[in-house]
Amino acid sequence: MKKQFILLIILLLTFNILSSQIINREPLSARLTGYTIDVNLDHVTKTVRGTVNAFWVNNSGDVVPDIQMHMYMNAFKSSRTTFNRETGGSPGKKSSAAGWIEIHSLTDLNGIDLTPGMQYISPDDGNPWDSTVLEVVLPKPALPGDTVFVTADFETKLPSKIRRTGYNGDFFFVAQWFPKFGVYEPAGMRYATSGGWNCHQFHANSEFYSNHSVYEISITLPDEYVVGSGGMLVSETNIGEGKKTLVYRAEDIVDFAWTAWPGYAVFNTSWEHVDITLLIPHDRTKQVERQFTAVKHALEYLAENVGPYPWPYLTFVDPPARGAGAGGMEYTTLFTSTSSYRMPEWLHMPEMVTIHEFGHAYFMGILASNEFEEPWLDEGVNSFWEARIVDHYYGKNSGLMDHPLLKIADASMSRISYISSPGKQLVNNSEYSWDYPLGTYGMMSYHKAANWLFTLMGIIGEETMNEIFREYYRKWAFRHPSGKDFTDVVNEVVTRIHGEKFGPDMNWFFDQTLYGTGISDYKVAGFRNFIMPDSTSTRRNDNPLDTILSDTDPVYNSIVYIERKGEVMLPVEILVHFNNGEEIMEWWDGKSRHKALEFTGKKKIEWVKIDPEFKIRMDINYINNSMTVEPDRVPVRRIMNKFIAFMQFFISFIML
Amino acid sequence: MRIFQAMGSGASRSVRIWKGLLTVWLFLLMLVSLFALPLKTGLKSGLGNSMITEKLAEGINVEVFTDMGQTWSTVFSALVPGFFIVLLFGFLMNVFFTGGIFSTIRGSAGKFLISDFFRASARNFWSFLVISIMIGLIILGIAFIIIGIPLSMASQSITLSEAEVYLTGMIAVIVFCLLMPVILLVADYSRAWQASSERLACFKALGYGFSRTFKTLLKSYPLMIMLLLPQVLFGWLVLTILPDLRPSSGMGLFLLFVLTQLLFFMRLLLKAWRYASVTGLAEQNAGKTVQQQPEQAGLN
Repeated sequence: MKKQFILLIILLLTFNILSSQIINREPLSARLTGYTIDVNLDHVTKTVRGTVNAFWVNNSGDVVPDIQMHMYMNAFKSSRTTFNRETGGSPGKKSSAAGWIEIHSLTDLNGIDLTPGMQYISPDDGNPWDSTVLEVVLPKPALPGDTVFVTADFETKLPSKIRRTGYNGDFFFVAQWFPKFGVYEPAGMRYATSGGWNCHQFHANSEFYSNHSVYEISITLPDEYVVGSGGMLVSETNIGEGKKTLVYRAEDIVDFAWTAWPGYAVFNTSWEHVDITLLIPHDRTKQVERQFTAVKHALEYLAENVGPYPWPYLTFVDPPARGAGAGGMEYTTLFTSTSSYRMPEWLHMPEMVTIHEFGHAYFMGILASNEFEEPWLDEGVNSFWEARIVDHYYGKNSGLMDHPLLKIADASMSRISYISSPGKQLVNNSEYSWDYPLGTYGMMSYHKAANWLFTLMGIIGEETMNEIFREYYRKWAFRHPSGKDFTDVVNEVVTRIHGEKFGPDMNWFFDQTLYGTGISDYKVAGFRNFIMPDSTSTRRNDNPLDTILSDTDPVYNSIVYIERKGEVMLPVEILVHFNNGEEIMEWWDGKSRHKALEFTGKKKIEWVKIDPEFKIRMDINYINNSMTVEPDRVPVRRIMNKFIAFMQFFISFIML
Repeated sequence: MRIFQAMGSGASRSVRIWKGLLTVWLFLLMLVSLFALPLKTGLKSGLGNSMITEKLAEGINVEVFTDMGQTWSTVFSALVPGFFIVLLFGFLMNVFFTGGIFSTIRGSAGKFLISDFFRASARNFWSFLVISIMIGLIILGIAFIIIGIPLSMASQSITLSEAEVYLTGMIAVIVFCLLMPVILLVADYSRAWQASSERLACFKALGYGFSRTFKTLLKSYPLMIMLLLPQVLFGWLVLTILPDLRPSSGMGLFLLFVLTQLLFFMRLLLKAWRYASVTGLAEQNAGKTVQQQPEQAGLN
């Protein structure tokens, strides 16, 4: 009885601590889950062991008989886990290579042992060898409004191959490391038709989905380790025997990860209200300014065009080469970038990764979409913003690479990845991420979505696009939006700003791009200039260049033939240039398979361009978007000229 | 003093064989053109009458090549094997003509005749081929031992910092670069000996190359460094100038072509200067050797 009372006090204190405000004045989210974790890092056995006190609030109208928790470290337990089956990999031959998590004890608020009700389930694929989702049947179902408290003693062994999480020597990146609640979705939330847990297994081609939570994390580890985490450091205590205890608090974030390595150098800066910390190997101090500049660019751009960054701190990590597997990942207020000791200035890869990973603080951090089911909603949307930011600050045509021999914009790289993918028509975005056919996850999640978002922006305009995201932020920040919620915002904003210029809604666009498998390809099939048989007569055509014609010059009947080769029908602009310097911009709804534009006058067509400003970035072939009487061969000849010289020098160089 | 004499005579000898170098230039241009012209046609055909070439105004644009889709795949699939075939034939062609160059730059070669040049090229071909392959293998082996092994060990290490790995790599590359003149001396002495020898004996030539290199290392090594430095500077100059040249007219393109070919011809001259200088030094040494051991001296 006494033990139960003490436990009750501890749990209530936990709830009280987690409910209190330290970082922000008001809770940013509903805070349906919270965690107080006290762990020790054993740097010899590569384990993290301790206790977690956690709660989940049943804010649905359902009576919920169980809880479901992520036990994601078990993905690295054997070669038969769903993760390793999907990758074809294995944890390694040595037992020290595997990763796993074990719950040694699990009790509820009343000290009742919950372990008899524990079982691993595999809701996605039924794999009996996968133990990444734990179901715990409660002694008493959780009634609407109830809060379920659990206390678990757990031990997590980190894997030696770092795939976002793990260790290498004395480097640790600790993510997906504690028992964590899934998301209970009542009917009507996202796509749920009835209440239930949304708790997917750990997959190779997927990321995560969690509640915004409050974390109070206490980590004990050897003195020499430098630690970075997604929380704010509350206290640091030297506990003797060469160890220290660090206490962190984080509010309204969807995941808590941390890293420890003695080799980190710590740098600080600030941007407006945000204190920024960078952990980076000592060798890479030359990269610090690049990294800080990049993250400040991202903060500035997203705060202006999407919404405020609400936390007063941000930590990011540039892992050492030995921890490269942890690079390029996001945990809202903590993210990892990548660089190297001598990263050339012309290669903006570190900036790109930093901007991308920071962007996730918005797209799945604040706007906590389900990355398993709709990866485009975070990765695709975030890639779209990443490309905009990178190209805005680092060069419209050279955002990613700015070398005298080769310049590449980030948006171009995204389009290249999309159009060069052989599987771009295999699947649409309504599939779950792990069900994407082989080799299409990256293209579907990142590149296709980024390109149709650019295309959408090309159609509706940049300011409307920004307003869409501002509205999306206002409506869905610190909630769990679905793809449908996003498209509803688009429809609302576009009709508010443009009326019915693009139709009653934009679903025609999403049906083709987001939920369709078609491609977009418009082509100038040709154009002809006929001299009219009776050129001396006075004529009038039906285009804006109507002119009364003189009697001396020949009159041409000029026709442009346009084709829609792809399935996707999008409105396009067509620019026609005449030999007298006049230009006419035509608008076509792009629906029919072909279109002829006719012009009559004392002028011949010299060239035609469909989508002259390259707004339709989904178009898989820009080459056939234009046609001219006199193509400019100089660039090709110049390239070949230099290529010949290069080959001559190269052959001469490698020969003795 | 003998070094500068060798360099001076090397310069005059290399200029003397300008017709031979012109022949090398012409054949290499033809070889590369055989590969480049169909590529150019493929590109032009892929781009058709499009105005997308506007995007190439600033240089190579990867997006344009990707837009070519299947056409680019076809062009690229021909490009890769074509590149290696050109390299192979370029190698054989170089081996062939190097035989002629080494023969005609000898002090006793007399007036340059193109027929002599081709005859010597043909005569020395097989021997020069073996020498080139052997030296190539030696370079690869040294690169593996000096750069490959330390760098892979350093990069696998969890105790070394990234700066230390970088430093290891840099030291390895510098050591390799410092060793390269020695290897080039072996190659040049071997070929100089073979070109002046009555009989074809590639391994004996290599033996001579090694022994001559190490016997005269104190003289030969500075000579080679002094010959290589202008080549390195020249290469740097070319790499700096060429990317920024973007003519936009037909005449500009023609001038660019002339300039690149002139630069390449200068590169051939510099290389011939190296061959001639090393040959000259070998001849000076051989002169001494002849006095001591007339039966062993192959050079004259």
